Amino acid sequence: MSAQKNYQHPFIIRATHWLNFLALTIMIMSGLRIYNASPIFPFLSSIPDNLTLGGWLGGARQWHFLGMWILGINGVIWVVYNVLSRHGRGTTIFSRKDVGGVVPMILYYLRLRKQHPPSGKYNALQKAAYTSVAFIGIGAVLTGVAIYWPVQFGVITRLFGNYDFARIWHFAFMAALVLFFGGHLFMVAISGWSNFLSMVTGYKKEG
Amino acid sequence: MNPENGKKSLFASRRSFLAVPPALFLAGCRFASGGKVDSTLKGFQRFNDWIQAKVFDPKKMAQEYSDEELTPEDGFRVNGYDTDEPDMDIPHWRLIVDGLVQKPGEYSMEEITKLPKYVKNLRHCCVEGWSMIPKWGGVLMKDFLDMVGADPKARYIAAECGDDYYTAWDMPSAMHSQTLLAYEAYGKPLELEHGAPLRVVMPVKLGYKSAKWITRLTITNEKPGGYWEDQGYDWFAGL
Repeated sequence: MSAQKNYQHPFIIRATHWLNFLALTIMIMSGLRIYNASPIFPFLSSIPDNLTLGGWLGGARQWHFLGMWILGINGVIWVVYNVLSRHGRGTTIFSRKDVGGVVPMILYYLRLRKQHPPSGKYNALQKAAYTSVAFIGIGAVLTGVAIYWPVQFGVITRLFGNYDFARIWHFAFMAALVLFFGGHLFMVAISGWSNFLSMVTGYKKEG
Repeated sequence: MNPENGKKSLFASRRSFLAVPPALFLAGCRFASGGKVDSTLKGFQRFNDWIQAKVFDPKKMAQEYSDEELTPEDGFRVNGYDTDEPDMDIPHWRLIVDGLVQKPGEYSMEEITKLPKYVKNLRHCCVEGWSMIPKWGGVLMKDFLDMVGADPKARYIAAECGDDYYTAWDMPSAMHSQTLLAYEAYGKPLELEHGAPLRVVMPVKLGYKSAKWITRLTITNEKPGGYWEDQGYDWFAGL
């Protein structure tokens, strides 16, 4: 018998996942070039050119404000799909039921617990990460609006303090996304090739 | 994604590096101007300008700050990037007005300062990302445009400056009730480095629209360019 195949990710989830990767790559790299025009933190006075996109401030802004459409439209499709299909309910979205699973999972990762706690598609910590990153994404978009349109949408700007603070928040949400990306890559790496492929084909080989 | 399912480490697989190239591709490419990528970017920029013009609400006010919130005067910043301070002949300075206007001509400082004076603490947002809150004093651009009989149905205003800088605005932004022709900062006559004798303060747009040392305003229906706009910065630049 050949290995059983297990359907993991519907087409819309896979498509939006990779479009999101493309959009965030554009947004973060062009954003770092924009950052270089007027650095916020003394300890981060210049991002190396190789990590940036756009070549100069004007070019970076062009990329950033093209990428925002991919990110925004893709994000709306993802949210609408999740709400209508209830796709992530129980499997991906962190709920009250998952609270109890957090500590055992931490103990397991710290090797203080031998047995992997029972979990479905994703464990409690993964659910927490995937759920919070959606909110981080929303935060990145909102802080972006706050500094793109501080007069037309001044309400949002003031939600984050003021224009200068909103810039710092925008950077912080970006940094949180990059941190998630690092952890995400690590988890994907230790979970194996078949797991990675499931986000491309939809199916995962089960041993 | 149970660890039990992990058969092979992704890092151990050579094919796994397929996951990396999109980022490297974007990093490594030099996007030649005039190419397909460049024209796509410019197309989106024009689309974004169009959206910004639609979103712009002339009744939306930029926040006006209290004196406590002002940027201290020694932090009143000059962006000298790519600009040279011009030799302005201030005593003989005139503002030329032409185009779609009932009373074209050259206007002196005396004629301009006869209009009602406004003092406003407004945030100046540079395209680079920094911002400051100076205290401006001047007349409303709207009052001046009304005085010279500028056609309110005209679409654009082009500005020329003493240092060969030039820029332009859409009429609704120029007529906004916080757009100033400023001749004072921090309660004192504007200094040369800040645009004396007369500069624009347009808090509904990025800083490069707030032209210094203005010498000419042309009211027109043909979309004018700008020093930075022609190099690839957004034309509308609304905030």
